[in-house]
Amino acid sequence: MNIIPGLGIARGMALTLRRFFAPRATIQVPEAAPDVAVRFRGRLQLLVDELGNLKCETCFQCAQACPVECIDMGGHDTRNRFWVHWGAAETYTERRQESALRRSGRPVPDAARRSFAPVEMAPLEEVLARRDYDPEPMLTLLEDIQAAYGYLPAAALLHVSHTTGAPFALLYGTATYYDHLSLEPRTRTIGICYCAACLLAGSARIEAAAEAVLGIPAGGGAGRGGEILERLPTHVPGAASPLVLVDGAAQAGVNARNAATWAQGLAGGGSAPGKGSAAGKGAAGRGKGRS
Amino acid sequence: MRARAATLVRSSWIQLLDRLSITERLVLLLIPPAIGGAVVTILAAALVGPAFVDFLAANLPLVRFFVAVVAILLLTVPTAFVIIYMELKVIARMNLRVGPNRIGPWGSGMSVVHGLKVLLKEDFAPTGADLPVFTLAPVVTFLASAMTLLVIPFAPGLFGQDLNIGLLFFFAMGGLTVLGLLMAGWASFNKYSLLGGLRSAAQMVSYEIPLTLSAVGIILLTGTMSLNQTVLAQSGSALDWFVFKQPLAFLIFFIAATAEANRTPFDMTEADSEIVAGFATEYSGMRFGFFFFAEYVNVFIVSALTVTLFFGGWTAPFDWPWPVSLDPIDAWAAGPAWIALGLGAAILGADVLAVVIRLFGGRAWSIPAAFGLGFLVSGAALTALLLGACFIAFDWFAGIVWFMAKAYAFVFVFVWLRATLPRVRIDQLMGFAWKWLLPAALLNLFITAAAVILLDR
Repeated sequence: MNIIPGLGIARGMALTLRRFFAPRATIQVPEAAPDVAVRFRGRLQLLVDELGNLKCETCFQCAQACPVECIDMGGHDTRNRFWVHWGAAETYTERRQESALRRSGRPVPDAARRSFAPVEMAPLEEVLARRDYDPEPMLTLLEDIQAAYGYLPAAALLHVSHTTGAPFALLYGTATYYDHLSLEPRTRTIGICYCAACLLAGSARIEAAAEAVLGIPAGGGAGRGGEILERLPTHVPGAASPLVLVDGAAQAGVNARNAATWAQGLAGGGSAPGKGSAAGKGAAGRGKGRS
Repeated sequence: MRARAATLVRSSWIQLLDRLSITERLVLLLIPPAIGGAVVTILAAALVGPAFVDFLAANLPLVRFFVAVVAILLLTVPTAFVIIYMELKVIARMNLRVGPNRIGPWGSGMSVVHGLKVLLKEDFAPTGADLPVFTLAPVVTFLASAMTLLVIPFAPGLFGQDLNIGLLFFFAMGGLTVLGLLMAGWASFNKYSLLGGLRSAAQMVSYEIPLTLSAVGIILLTGTMSLNQTVLAQSGSALDWFVFKQPLAFLIFFIAATAEANRTPFDMTEADSEIVAGFATEYSGMRFGFFFFAEYVNVFIVSALTVTLFFGGWTAPFDWPWPVSLDPIDAWAAGPAWIALGLGAAILGADVLAVVIRLFGGRAWSIPAAFGLGFLVSGAALTALLLGACFIAFDWFAGIVWFMAKAYAFVFVFVWLRATLPRVRIDQLMGFAWKWLLPAALLNLFITAAAVILLDR
């Protein structure tokens, strides 16, 4: 409350009167260009919509129009494996985030390049020699390569393309089309619950059996077949004890008594999808269906 | 043979019509009635002119009344346009914006376009509305404000009627505005309109009382309710203005007038940003436009009354120290010679200026451009000269210049208030009128009456 009534009004009036004579803040944009450097093209920025999805459609028009080629487009393919530079938009899963990150000088997670890590070529050469470097039965060729390596190394696919003349895109397309073909080493995560109820039901014995068969300690690295053994942080509500998860799927009927048998099955790959059956008898895994 | 010639003429006539644009065809169509109208007018003037003039002279008060009413109705249109433009532009400046700048020079055509827009909109009446009342309401609102202009003296001798109850007439007509608002609220067949109408009626009735009471002090001082006499009582210099004798009355009057004119901070009646539009909710098109027309005319009227009552009306704020007088009789006697002289001066000035522009501006100015600019500049200079001569020669011209300058200064203050102050709450609004303004007005009246008796003036 002011001591003099109306003082606030007088001060407000004085303010608006000062504003009346102040220079105007409006820039008449179409007629008067804002004062920026000649080569200023705005700020390169990837916009996201209200859901947090990138609005970029990877149409490459900005990169094509960029006069100094400072816009560079590149990214991962749809399965997040390979670094692709230019190409059809639908071949990317990651859109321009990496490009923007790289432009800003920050480290870019580049997991895809690991797929091109060099591999030992002797098993591949043996497979190719056996087939007389013929890429025509491509599916069976790829199945043989997967049987030799356990998976399809990208470096091996590149080598096949170079030696047989088959286009890499065709090899890559075939390899990614069939579910039983994998471009990465398959991993299986075996989770064993260590809560009090599961311990009473024998989860320690199950873990010991799995450790013995797979040859890895719980919480350690991956085993020979790409298995990872871990202890679950919490019990899944409503699940029966002892709780054992393989790739997130609860294994019914496993208990302390049949733990050893179950662990043997793990090593044989019986309950695991993909690798064992497909690598063993190739034709059986043909098509999208799972054997 | 004759038929063929007729066909030829007709076909060539049609061909000519085909070549013309719509505008040209319209002009062509308008030529015969224009010529005919001119001929008829001249004939009528020659035949019944003297008798008609005699008739008018015999009924001079009636003629004066009709002319005054027509002049006032015509005056309201440019007034509203100017005030709307002023409001747009001034508030924009105070917000550090540019304001309208597209239509006309510096956007000055904006309010005209606003008016045209409102005219073109659909004229809609809600189902169940009381149509005669609904239609009459904006008319009543507008006319109630416009008619108050009849008693305002714009200049010596330039007023509608010098009523001896001028101030009473002003407040009575101004009070009719409430009726218009109530009619609008009631006839709209909408409870929100009705509430808005009652709300504005409550506000305007409340503020009418301090508004009238604050003017009573001046009536005591002058002893008359004639606004012309009030102005004459303030003639002299700015020190004779009633604002110095009645400062409290001026303050009360100005605040109450703000509320009467429905201006911020008291624009509760149609608080655009809060309630829909109050009593005008169901109105559209030009009926809606008339409410705002009336509002802007009201701003001018209230400013004009403030100037008349407190700021000396059309009198100059200082004694003219060097009495210059061009004898107006001589100026009229010269008659057509003045027009010829003016035109000759304009053409000669344009020629001289064009030569000067060509000499100093060089190749940048083409000859037509130089002549155009020269004509504009010399025309502006001559107009300024003519207006200056009028200002000195005719006291009515000087009076209207002073009056308009003062009135528009107050219009600026109203706009300035709108740019500054937020809207008050309805209960604060009513409380302020009854608890503060009314006692203050009574106090002012008491002190003035006591002073008049004690000082015996």
